[in-house]
Amino acid sequence: MANYICNPTKWYSLSVGLLFLALLAVLPGCGKGSKGGTNEIAIGVVLPVTGREAKPGQYQREGIELAIHQINQGGGIFVRELGKKLPVKEVFYDDGSDQAKSAGLVERAMSADNVVAVLGGYSTALGEAESVMPDRYQTPWITTGAAASTIFSHGYQYIFGTLSPTDLLGYTTAEFLGSVVDHGKLKKGLKLALALENTDHGVDYGKGIDKWIQEHPGYFNVVFSEKFDLGSTDFSGLLQKVKNARADIFLADAHLQDYITMHRQYMQTAMYHQMISYGARGPEADARKALGDATNYIFAGIWWSGKLPYPQVKRFAADYQGSTGRPPDSWYAATAYEGMRALAAAIEHAGSLNKTAIRDQLRTVELTDSLLPGQVLRFGKNGQINTPFVIVQNKPGDKVDIVYPPDAATGEAIAPKPR
Amino acid sequence: MSAVDLLNLLIAALLQAGVYAAMSVGMTIIYGVMKIVNLAHAGFLMLGAYFVYELYARFHIDPLLGVLLAFPVFFLIGMSVHWVLVRRIPTSDQPTLTSLLLLFGLWLVLQNLGYVVWGNSDRAILTPRTLDVLQIGPISFPTVRLVVFGAALTSLGSLEFVLHKTWFGRAVRALMQNSDAGRIVGVNVERTARVAFGVGIAFAGAAGGLLAMIYSFSPDFGGPFLLRSFVVIVMGGLESFAGVAVGSVILAVVETFCILVLPANYQPAIAFSLLVLALIVLPEGVAGLWNKRRRWA
Repeated sequence: MANYICNPTKWYSLSVGLLFLALLAVLPGCGKGSKGGTNEIAIGVVLPVTGREAKPGQYQREGIELAIHQINQGGGIFVRELGKKLPVKEVFYDDGSDQAKSAGLVERAMSADNVVAVLGGYSTALGEAESVMPDRYQTPWITTGAAASTIFSHGYQYIFGTLSPTDLLGYTTAEFLGSVVDHGKLKKGLKLALALENTDHGVDYGKGIDKWIQEHPGYFNVVFSEKFDLGSTDFSGLLQKVKNARADIFLADAHLQDYITMHRQYMQTAMYHQMISYGARGPEADARKALGDATNYIFAGIWWSGKLPYPQVKRFAADYQGSTGRPPDSWYAATAYEGMRALAAAIEHAGSLNKTAIRDQLRTVELTDSLLPGQVLRFGKNGQINTPFVIVQNKPGDKVDIVYPPDAATGEAIAPKPR
Repeated sequence: MSAVDLLNLLIAALLQAGVYAAMSVGMTIIYGVMKIVNLAHAGFLMLGAYFVYELYARFHIDPLLGVLLAFPVFFLIGMSVHWVLVRRIPTSDQPTLTSLLLLFGLWLVLQNLGYVVWGNSDRAILTPRTLDVLQIGPISFPTVRLVVFGAALTSLGSLEFVLHKTWFGRAVRALMQNSDAGRIVGVNVERTARVAFGVGIAFAGAAGGLLAMIYSFSPDFGGPFLLRSFVVIVMGGLESFAGVAVGSVILAVVETFCILVLPANYQPAIAFSLLVLALIVLPEGVAGLWNKRRRWA
C-alpha cells in the first residue's frame, strides 16, 4: 500500500482513471436518463432570458412551454415506429442575448443533448448566429423570433421560421399609412424619416417601405434614413438629425429596449410627427409602464395580436393567462407556441425520431387552426412562413386596437396623432 | 443646419456631459487612491438605479431624494465590500490582474443578484418631469437632464470641497500623489483607502440613481456606461476630478457633433477612437497636459 502511495506513475494512472470516470458521469448522454432516450422526445430550446432581449425571450419560452405542457397533458406525441406516445422534454439554455453563446448552445443541444430539434433564436442577430448550426448537425431548427430574410436565403435545408419576413413588415407599414392617406386622414406627399437598427432586420424593414413607395409613387418621400446600433444608450444625435429632417412621419425599426430608450429621448426633444412607429414594437407592457401616455397613438406592425377574431386565439390567450398569470404581451409567445405545435405535428407525421424525416415533414406540415393572421401556418420553400401582419395602435387607457387590415380591425386608426 | 439647431445640439451635448461626469467620478476616486480599476462600477450603477426605483415605487420618494439617500447607503456598502474583499488584494502602484479579476467577478455576481431579485423586466422611473421639456424660445431643455446635470455639478463641487477643505480630502490627495510619502506624514493608508472606496461606490450608486431618471434599466444596466467612464477618466487623466469634467465634455461634444457627419451607428466607435487617441496622444490625459504647461510656465 505504502509502495502504491509513493509511486507517482500509479498516482498518475489513478488520477487519469478518476478523471475519466468523472467525465463519463458529467458528459450529457453518457449516463442514465439520457436526454435522447426513447422514453421521451428531447427538444432543445435556446432563448435569451437574461440580457438585452430577456423579456421577449422569456415570453417566447413561456409560449413553447405552454405548448409542451398541453402536448404532454394529451399523453405526448405519437411516434408510429415506436407504437406509443412519448412526452416532450425541454432542454433549455439561456444564451444571455449573446450571439456567440447562442450559436454555441445550439451546437451543444444538437451535438451533445441528442435533441430531435431546436427551437429558439429570438431576434435576428441571435437567430443569424444560430442558423449556421442546423445543417452542420442535420437537426431541424425553428426560429420563433428571427425574421430577416437573409437567414433564409443561404439555402440551408434544416432551418424554419414562424415569423413572416421583415420586408413584409416594412411593406405592410407603408401600405397601412397609404390606406390612411386614402381615407383622407393624412395628406399625400408626406415626408418620412427612417431610423433603422443596424442589422439585417433593419435593412429588410427599410427595403419593404421603399418597395411600397416605389410601387405607389406620390404617397410618401423618404427624406431621412439612417441606421443605429442595437442597445445604444444615447440617441440624441440621431434624433437631432431626425428633427433637422423636418419629416412628417417618423418610422423606426427598434427592439424593445431601444424603443423605450429612443422614445423617451424623442419625447424630451419636443418633436412632433403626425405618425410614429417603432416597427414591430409598440404595445408592450414594459414600454407602457416606462413611458406612460407617451406611447399613445404609436402604431406597430406585429406578427400576431390577442385581438384577432379567431376562437383559437381566445383559447390560447386564456391558457397563457392560466399558465403565467398574465395575458400575452404583444406577439412573442404566440409565434413560439406555434413553432412548437408545428414541430409536434411534423414529428407525428414523420412517425419516427429521425431528424431528416422530421425535417421533411416540417416542409409539408400545415396547421389549419393556426393562431397567426390568416389561420394557416405552412413553411415556404426557404423555410420561412409568409402570414400577413396586423397593424395595431396604442390608444389612451392602455387600449390597443388592430387598425389594419380592415377585415380584422377592432378600431379606427387615429391619424394624425394628436399633439 | 441653422444656428438654433447647433445651439440645441451643444446644449444636448453639455447635458450629456453631466451624465458622463456623474457616472465617472466614483471610478476616478477609487483608481486615484488605490490604483484599482473598478470593473464592478457598472454593477453598482445598476444597484443604484434599482435602489432609487424601489424607493420611488414602494414609498413614493422623489428620485432626487432617492439619489441623496443612495450616498450614505452605498457608502456603507462600499466600505463593506472593501473590508470583505478589496483589502485582501496586494497593494500596488499599478492595477493588478488580481484586482481586475476580483472586481469583474463581483460585477457578474451583482448582475446575477439583480436577476434573482428583480427578474429580467425593463424598469423605468416615470415622474411628471421625465418627459417634460423646458422651452426657452427655440431652445429646448429636457427637464430631467437639467436636473441630472445640476446634481452632477453639485456632486463634483461637493467632492472638490471635501478634497481641499477636509483632513480626509488632503489624505486622499496625498495618497493619489505619492502613497509612500503620505504614509510617512501619518496618513492611515488602509482607513483612507476604505473610506475612499466607500465614497467611490457612493458616487457610483448615486450616479446609477441619476441615470435611472433618464434611461430604462435591467440587471444588465451599466455595461455600456463602463466603457464611456473609461474614456472619460483616461482623457481626464485617471486621477483628476477637474479632468473628469473636461473629459466628459470632450466625449459628449465629440459624440454628439460627430453624429452630424457620421452615421449614427458609428457612435460606439467614436468613444473607442477617442480612448485610443487619448492613450496615444495624451497618455496622462488633459490633467497631464495642464501639469506640463504649469511646469513650463
